[in-house]
Amino acid sequence: MAQDVGQDTNLAQSGDTRTSARVSRETISAATVAILCVVLLLGARFVSPALGSWSQVETVLVLGFFLVILSFGQGLVILSGGLDLSLPATITLGGILATSWVGAENPAAWYYLPVVLGVCGLVGMVSGIGVVWLRVPPFIMTMAMSIIVASALLGYTKGTPRGAAPDAAVAMMKSHILGLPVPVVVLIGLVLLGWVFQSRTIFGRYIYAVGTNIEAARIAGVPVAAMQILPYVLSAICAGFVGIALVGYSNGATLRMGDGYLLPSIASVVIGGSSILGGSGTFLGTVGGAILLTTLGTIISALGLEFGLRTVIEGSIVLIALLLLREELFQKLRSVWR
Amino acid sequence: MSATSIEAGSNSVVRNSLVKLTKGAGLIVGIYLILYALYVYQQPRALSASAIAALINNTAPLALAAMGQTLVVVSRGFDLSVAGVISLCNVVLAVYPIGGPGGALVSMLICVAIGASVGAVNGWLVAVLRMQSIAATLATMIICQGIALVILKAPGGAVSNWIADELTDRLWKTIPVSGLVVAAVVGIWLLLRRTDFGLSLYAIGADEQAAKLSGVNTTRVRFTTFVLAGAVYGLAGLMLSAQTATGNPTSGTPLLLLSFAAVALGGTSLAGGGGGLFASVMGAATLMLLQKVLFSSGVSSFYTGMFQGMTLILAVVFSGLLTRLGERK
Repeated sequence: MAQDVGQDTNLAQSGDTRTSARVSRETISAATVAILCVVLLLGARFVSPALGSWSQVETVLVLGFFLVILSFGQGLVILSGGLDLSLPATITLGGILATSWVGAENPAAWYYLPVVLGVCGLVGMVSGIGVVWLRVPPFIMTMAMSIIVASALLGYTKGTPRGAAPDAAVAMMKSHILGLPVPVVVLIGLVLLGWVFQSRTIFGRYIYAVGTNIEAARIAGVPVAAMQILPYVLSAICAGFVGIALVGYSNGATLRMGDGYLLPSIASVVIGGSSILGGSGTFLGTVGGAILLTTLGTIISALGLEFGLRTVIEGSIVLIALLLLREELFQKLRSVWR
Repeated sequence: MSATSIEAGSNSVVRNSLVKLTKGAGLIVGIYLILYALYVYQQPRALSASAIAALINNTAPLALAAMGQTLVVVSRGFDLSVAGVISLCNVVLAVYPIGGPGGALVSMLICVAIGASVGAVNGWLVAVLRMQSIAATLATMIICQGIALVILKAPGGAVSNWIADELTDRLWKTIPVSGLVVAAVVGIWLLLRRTDFGLSLYAIGADEQAAKLSGVNTTRVRFTTFVLAGAVYGLAGLMLSAQTATGNPTSGTPLLLLSFAAVALGGTSLAGGGGGLFASVMGAATLMLLQKVLFSSGVSSFYTGMFQGMTLILAVVFSGLLTRLGERK
């Protein structure tokens, strides 16, 4: 293993056996999830005739936008062997800064938005540093950051967020290009970017190496500390971006706007075939997991159930999905496939 | 850090854990006393029997939640369902109040049963189906919170008067009942720790493979741990309801992070295999006292979370340092 991840040049191609295994797994998880999505969308017609149409596909993609981007960050953190429980707070941070700061000062100032992302990235960096240098378990560190950020936001807004959504955020979420909603176009672009980053760049390879065997990676000369911190920074930036996007989508921020996204973000990654212990998994699988969960979510909300019951059903489905779509299943499927 | 502590733990699990227990509890008791002196300095009335009872009443729910959490952490797991179980017990007690002392007993049994059932689901998922404890208990927590929201949509309802009055009262005007409940659980734990189960619990946390090889039924011990922890969360839900006297479907959420903070403050290693329940109780007491001290220093309650989060990080860093120093000797 040490030799396998050893040479930087080899990492890009990664030995023959591993590449074929990964491709096959990618195909299987993508196929499983795609089939499930189609079956669900068609099956949804029985629930309500309004469902299962092209416009619902568009809705799923627009709603999936948030989850896919979050899961990219969460996926990287999980891949590196950590876990990010601070997503809800960081989403809210992005959203609140976008409204109460940018929106209240000057909604047209799109150039403030990268600053917002920078602040979120800083939160991620603190989490990463705590995990790597202070050796706080990832789960405790990100949970503590989460409560610290939430409490800072509570103080900053005095309990009631003000301001309006920045124009750029509204434009991103509410306009169309060539008949397609802009979020869908942005989503496709970001998915490609994320896939290239995770599977085709040296950083992606390094993160796989760190998640697989940190000692081996260290010996092999991977900048281990930086590659453990980087995922947290990227995850926080993704969460901040989702916060801004959510604000553009719903024209305002609340202090609890990120709460519902934590479990789905972890679930998308695991359903997409990644190991929750890190070191394996693909971004395309995660995208499939996120779209699948979003499809389920839209169908459940179309049933018109009360919020509590919806939470129960969504939680149970995620639990069942976590149980059924685990790594072992993909391994079994792969052995049948060949 | 974890790798070395496993090796140290498997050599002499019992002695190691005892050393950690006394060291951790000694430290946290010291911190508590210093903080308490500060509190008394700010609020001289804090030494009155009623003020002490109020403080213990405040602490009891978190202390119980932290004790359950400690059981799971010692076995090298994490239990996020604590928040869900407490919320669920709270709304059940507020929506279906049963009056009188008999009703209180039934209510207590219901709470323990709710906790134990959720714990059984967790145990089944983690011990039998081998799911990651964080993922499994995150899901059960969210499901429990959903059920709590179905039972009670918005804060409201009233807990039976007997529970709200008697469980927060003082016996013979001196001993707070809530303190007795906590002491009872600590007592049961002290007995349990000497049994096969207690020893196996530490053994699993220190090195599951080694425990299995020496004949411990790891699946059963792990399952039992989650069930016991759940039952204790049920008691925490009962005590919280006695404290607030009303129902709130999200009442358990603040206790999630705090329960881990209390465990970490008590010096229990989050890598499993060491620590004790009494230290966690003191950790919980310190956290609640910290809130009071902050409040009486005039810090806005908005920022309580910042202090709690930083305390948690500091506690984990500090206990990690102590563990590493201890192992170097």
